[in-house]
Amino acid sequence: MTRPGILAGLRVVDLSMGWAGPLAARHLADMGADVIKVEGCVRFDWWRGWEATQGWIDSHGAEKNPAFNMVNRNKRDLTLDLSTPVGSELLKRLVAISDVVVENYSAGVLPKLGLDYPVLSGINPALVMISMPAFGTDGPWSSYRAYGSTVEQASGLPHLAGESDYPPTMVHVALGDSVGGLNGAAALLTALYAKQRTGQGQHLELSQSECLFPLGAQGILAQSVTGRPPPRLGNRSPRYAPHGVYRCVGEDEWITIAVQSEDEWEALSAFSGIDGFVDVADRLRRNDELDAAIADFTEGQVAEVLMLELQAVGVHAGYVASGLELATDPHLAGRGFWKLMERDHVGVLPHPAAPYRVGDEPFDIDRPAPTLGQHNRELLRDLIGLSEAEIDDLEREGIIGTKPRLP
Amino acid sequence: MTTKGALAGLKVLDVAGSIASAYCGKLFADHGAQVVNVEPPDGGFETRREPPFIPGADAPESSALHAYLSTNKASVALDVALEPEPLLRLARDCDVVLDDGRFDCTAFTEVAPEVVVSTITWFGRHGPYADFKGSGAVCWSLVGMVRNVGPEQGPPWVAPGCGAEIVGGLAAYIATLGQVLARRMGNATGPVRLDTSIHEANLCFTEVGGVGGYRSGRRGKRLGVNRFAPTYPLGVYACADGWLGVTALTPRQWKNFCSLLAMDQYADEPGYQTAIGRLMHYDTLEPIIRSRVRKRSAGELVTRGQSLRIPLAPVPTMEELFSVDQYVHRGAFTQISCNGTDFQVPATPFRLFRTPAVAGGAVARLGESDSEYLA
Repeated sequence: MTRPGILAGLRVVDLSMGWAGPLAARHLADMGADVIKVEGCVRFDWWRGWEATQGWIDSHGAEKNPAFNMVNRNKRDLTLDLSTPVGSELLKRLVAISDVVVENYSAGVLPKLGLDYPVLSGINPALVMISMPAFGTDGPWSSYRAYGSTVEQASGLPHLAGESDYPPTMVHVALGDSVGGLNGAAALLTALYAKQRTGQGQHLELSQSECLFPLGAQGILAQSVTGRPPPRLGNRSPRYAPHGVYRCVGEDEWITIAVQSEDEWEALSAFSGIDGFVDVADRLRRNDELDAAIADFTEGQVAEVLMLELQAVGVHAGYVASGLELATDPHLAGRGFWKLMERDHVGVLPHPAAPYRVGDEPFDIDRPAPTLGQHNRELLRDLIGLSEAEIDDLEREGIIGTKPRLP
Repeated sequence: MTTKGALAGLKVLDVAGSIASAYCGKLFADHGAQVVNVEPPDGGFETRREPPFIPGADAPESSALHAYLSTNKASVALDVALEPEPLLRLARDCDVVLDDGRFDCTAFTEVAPEVVVSTITWFGRHGPYADFKGSGAVCWSLVGMVRNVGPEQGPPWVAPGCGAEIVGGLAAYIATLGQVLARRMGNATGPVRLDTSIHEANLCFTEVGGVGGYRSGRRGKRLGVNRFAPTYPLGVYACADGWLGVTALTPRQWKNFCSLLAMDQYADEPGYQTAIGRLMHYDTLEPIIRSRVRKRSAGELVTRGQSLRIPLAPVPTMEELFSVDQYVHRGAFTQISCNGTDFQVPATPFRLFRTPAVAGGAVARLGESDSEYLA
C-alpha cells in the first residue's frame, strides 16, 4: 500500500531501534513514504521495553510504551529473525525493492548478519542507506555503547548549562536522540535528492554526538575564537537583564522572562512598576536586586496569565510547562497539533503533528504505531510474493511472529 | 560557489536572516547549493549581532556565529521592501526562499514557478501565540525543556545558547528539502508555501511528556541537577581527572556497573533491578557511586566500562572538546575563514560518502556579492 503524500512511491526499510533512527524514518513516513519497520520477536525494538519478563510479555507490555508509539506512527511492521538464513534472505528481497534502509545497530552487528551496506548495495545499487551510531562509524569510539544521554555527555554541552557551583549539567534524559533523528531525516532527504538527480545511491552516516555541536555552537565558537568558554550563569544572560525564571502562584509554577532590548525593559517596567535602573549595564551590575524585584512581582501571579499580559505589551515571556500543560496548551490545541487516535492495547492517545505544514492543517497521521508483526502477512504476500502456506511455515518456524519471546 | 555536492544546482535565497533560517540555509550550502543571503544594507542580518564575537574584528563582520552559519554563502545588501525589482531578479529560477513571514508564493511565482517559500517562525503563522515574541528561553520554557532541569527547589534552569533555533532550522530543512525532492520526483508541482514552527520543532524533545500528561493528568517532579526519570544511575560525576558521563539502564548494565565500581553487594538487590527502582533509592546509592568514581580516572572508567558494555563517556570541557581523539579522528571540526581570521567550527553533522559535504570555506562580507548578483 502506498499512502498519498509528497514522498509517495518511496519505500523505506527501517531496521532502527530506540528513538533516533525511528524518528528519522517517521519524518519520511509523515511525508508519505511507505516505511516498513523490521524487528524480531526476540530482538524486538528495545524501546518497546528494556526489562522484559514473561509477565510483561503476557500483559502486552511491548505494545504500551508511549515513547515507542510516538516515533513509529504511519509505519508498517514486519518481524523477521535476521539471525536465520531464511530471515536474512527475506530482508534482502525486501531491500531489493526498496529505496532506503535506516539502521542504528551497534558496530559489527550488520556485518556479522551479512546485511551491511556492501552486501545490500550489491543487491540494490541505487540504495540509500544510513547508519546512525552514537559516535559515527569510524574512530576509537565507534563501537562504544551509548544512549541519548551518553551522547549529550560526550558532546561537552553539559559544560555550558547550569551554574558554575554545580557539576556540568544535562538538560534532558536523552538529548541526543531526537536531534540525531532529525539529522538522520535531513541526511536521507539530501541523499535522496542526489539520487534523483544522478541515479546513484550511497551510504550515509552520522555521529549523534556531533549532531549536538550546532546546539552548543555559541559556546563551542566562544572557545574557538577567544580561547575561553562562556561563563555558566544559570538563567542569566551576559547581555540582557532581567533574564530568568521566576516563581508564580501555585506549586512549582514558574515564568521565564527574557528581556532583550531597552524597549522591552521599559514595557516591563511600566507594567510591573519596577524602576530605578539606569540602563542595561546598571541592570546587569545590580542583577541580584533586579531579580529580587521581579520575583516579588511574579510571586502572586498566575504564570500563564502573566505570560499573556507580558507578551501583550511586547515582553518575551513564557510559562514553564510540564507534560500536563503540553497536552492542554491552547496554542497547540488551536493549531491541531495533537491528533487523538485509538490503538490496540493503549486506547485513545494524542499523537503529535510534524512541525511543518502546508496551509493551516498539519500533515495527516493516518495510522498509529504498528503492533509487533502487525503487517507480516500483507507485506510478505504483497511485496515479497509468498503464499499463505509459506507464511504459515515462517510462523511455525518462529522466523516471524506477533509476540515477543525471551532469548 | 561549488558545483559539487548532493544539492549542487539548487538555488536558495535567505530573506529572513534569523539563526533558524541561517542554519537551514547552511545545510543547503554545506551540500553544494547556491545560497544567497539577502541582507538589510544597514547592518545586515540579525545573526551578525549574535555572540560570540571575533576579538579585534569590527561589526558587521565580527560575529563568529554568523560566520559559522553563513560559510560558503553569498551576501547581497538589499532592502527587499524598498527594492522589489532586484529581489525578483535574484529570485529568478530559485528553488527555495527562506522567509520569516513577509512573503508568500505570489511574490515569486512569475520568476520561480516551482519555488518553495519556506517560512520559519517561532510559533507558526496562526494560533494564539502566533504573534508572541519568541526566543530560545521562551520556546524551551513552553515545550517543557526547562521544568525538569536544575535544583529540586528551583528555580528551574534554561539552557543558554541557540539550541532551539538550530532545531527549528533543522526541521525547516527537512520540510523544505522534502518539498524540493517531491518536485524532482514528480509528486508535486508549482509553488508552495511551507510553515515551520520552531516551537513545534522543539517538541521533538518532549512530545512523549505531553502524552504522559494526557494519560496521567499529573505533572512530573523536578528531581534535581542531572536527575531524570526513569533512568538511574545517570549523570555527570567528578573523577580524579575530569568528568564521567554515566548511564546504566538495563539490568545487565547495572550489574556490570556495580562490578566496575566494586560495589557488587548492590548488584542483585531486588529493589535495584529496574532503573526506576534504583531512582527511588537515589539517596542510598548516589553517595556510594560519587565516592567511588571520584578516586578513579575518567579515561580508565570509560575504557573498562565500555569493555563491559556500559554506556559511559568522558564529558569534555569546551577546551578539551577540540582534541578529543574521536572527534579529531573524524574531523568533527573544520576551519573557516572570516575576514582574515581563521577558526574552527563544527563540521556538517551528517556525512554522505559519495557526495560529501563541503569542508571549511569562507564567509562573505555584507554586500560582498552585490556585483555578482545585483549588477
